[in-house]
Amino acid sequence: MTRLTIDPVTRLEGHAKIEIFLDDAGEVQRTYFQVPELRGFERFCVGRPVEEMPSLTGRICGVCPEAHHMAAAKAADAVYGITPPRPARLLREALYSAFFVTDHATHFYALGGPDFFVGPDAPVAERNILGVLQKVGAEAGARVIGARKAGHHVIEMIGGRAIHPCTSVPGGLTKGITEAQRSEIEAIGHSMVDFAEFSIGVFDSLVMGDPAYRDAILGDVYRDETYYMGLVDPNGKLNFYDGRIRIVAPDGERLGEYNPAEYPDWISERVEPWTYLKFPYLKRVGWKGFVDGKDSGVYCATPLSRLNAADGMATPKAQAEYERFFATLAPANGGPKRMVHQRLATHWARLVEMLYAAERLVELASDPEIASDNFRAMPTATPTEGVGTVEAPRGTLTHHYWTDERGILTKVNLIVGTTNNYAPMCMSIERAARSLIHRGQVVSEGILNRIEMAFRAYDPCFGCATHSLPGHMPLEVTLRDAAGDVVDVIRRDG
Amino acid sequence: MSSVATAEPARGTNPGAEARVPASAGPGLRDPGPRAPASAVPGPGIKESVPPAAGPGPASTIVVGIGNPILGDDGIGWRVVEEVERRWAAEPRAGAELPPVVFLCVALGGLSLMERLVGAGRAILVDAVRTGDRPVGTVFDIPLAELVPGVSGHLDNAHDASLPVALAAGRSLGAELPAEITVVGIEAHRVEEFGEELSAPVLAARSAAVEAVLAILGRDGVRSS
Repeated sequence: MTRLTIDPVTRLEGHAKIEIFLDDAGEVQRTYFQVPELRGFERFCVGRPVEEMPSLTGRICGVCPEAHHMAAAKAADAVYGITPPRPARLLREALYSAFFVTDHATHFYALGGPDFFVGPDAPVAERNILGVLQKVGAEAGARVIGARKAGHHVIEMIGGRAIHPCTSVPGGLTKGITEAQRSEIEAIGHSMVDFAEFSIGVFDSLVMGDPAYRDAILGDVYRDETYYMGLVDPNGKLNFYDGRIRIVAPDGERLGEYNPAEYPDWISERVEPWTYLKFPYLKRVGWKGFVDGKDSGVYCATPLSRLNAADGMATPKAQAEYERFFATLAPANGGPKRMVHQRLATHWARLVEMLYAAERLVELASDPEIASDNFRAMPTATPTEGVGTVEAPRGTLTHHYWTDERGILTKVNLIVGTTNNYAPMCMSIERAARSLIHRGQVVSEGILNRIEMAFRAYDPCFGCATHSLPGHMPLEVTLRDAAGDVVDVIRRDG
Repeated sequence: MSSVATAEPARGTNPGAEARVPASAGPGLRDPGPRAPASAVPGPGIKESVPPAAGPGPASTIVVGIGNPILGDDGIGWRVVEEVERRWAAEPRAGAELPPVVFLCVALGGLSLMERLVGAGRAILVDAVRTGDRPVGTVFDIPLAELVPGVSGHLDNAHDASLPVALAAGRSLGAELPAEITVVGIEAHRVEEFGEELSAPVLAARSAAVEAVLAILGRDGVRSS
């Protein structure tokens, strides 16, 4: 058997490793996708006051502290059995909307964009945001930086800090905003709507307008038919901050909807001997292995899955884009709902969400009540147990806390966005490898990158990968023949 | 056990209005969005949102502790910079005007870290590093360009770009970024398990790292005066 490994030469935080096993005929037999796990966060939290969690959980990693902040605040609300007043809900969701625009923009231009704008076969040194800027132009680059700046500014106005917000507490927030700030946030929201529409235009012309990329998105290399998960509001429309969790089958049939606190009735975890991470799956369907289809309990929780799960978007421009998305990628099939299974379409789905988040920010900031002083209800009940769920950019995020009667944590359970997607990511990588590596194959940088594209669409987060130095991830590919001898080594030194 | 809040004392200096703007883009970047005026938000422990004090200017040095303060040895960068800031403020410099130095502790990389460096003349980055070819606790300082040879792919930082690529991107957009970036690295051991404790060799290396940063600051002070 030939063994092919995509593996960093140097052990760095947050790296992933892909191993591809080939049979004697040179066909892909099996792939393994391993990710390192940061350990001990739950244990670190036990013994601390639950009020600390909204600030503390933002330290899990530097990628999406806002999502952990919100999930923690909502779980802490639930621990005290308290519902924050309406202005608090408006403020939190406004912060969260600004965060979504910022995070999705960064992913689209810096992480996903290089595969499309520069091309999967381009030298690795060009396949980065610099290459994207050369393709889309400096003005577009300035708009990206401007949108990030504006997003961080909104997060700072509401959350107290631009990166690690700290104002959400059980029952609401520690501070509100002024009328001048409300007005400024509204203006920023309008500029973000413009930016999201601009980004969709970029995707349309440079990606969907390119036959090769369009074929890659529409083709079967990156297609897996799994269940989909997403938060929906009472009207069945997507919501990032709150709602019920809806599960939809690959054919569009609804498996069910549940209150986030009921997650133990819906989700189980599969343990595999070759990885520390567990694989969540749908209890009602059961674990059938790394296979797709309606009989397999594998589900996906991403921007794509949220669009598949929801009936639509709650804002007009995003709704129009949602309809165009499905009309383009999933012609009516007579089923209960059009579904998009092409994983690379996740990049487009991310832009639909970005437009929704921007429009939603305008809606929220236009509500005069958002500048009210009534931004907190004081908790009075005895704390016990609570669950808080939000949609993080990378999938449904759940915090579950147990406390004693003083509010001291006795147990903590977190289900983070990337974990939801571990099984489908493994499947997407294997499918891409099977499609791209055949007898007589030449393992080139481009082929490896096309396999990496399979998991990059999920925007996986492997912990605190954002701040390690030296900050580069060399990759090494080792080819072994059936006897296990090395026949070739391809090394990418960052 | 102390909380994260106590691990993040507010910076010693009070951010001025101008210093509050820069959450990201700085001078030279075209920003089609609305101008972000100075915020009235008092922002407790605001350190991460803003480069502080007088804000980095062309002659200023920014000293950045990088890492996660609750992830074992990864927190060494913060610990070093906190001590450097204390020593820098306390050290008497008779007759000499203090060169402008900005201190910052962040858990950021890539574009977000680049955005924090905008406007500074030079930067010193202090971080836990795991090269695997140095004994744990080894302190070294080298230019960033030597630590990361050439530009790297965007996988470097799973969520945006490597710092060198982010710097190049920023410069291509006209941002004023430090001409000189030095990395003070501390070879780390335990960065995969949450906890506020540093391993013994890394803790022991703290004072050497502090001296290394002060030595570089001293050089810079001579240069900028």
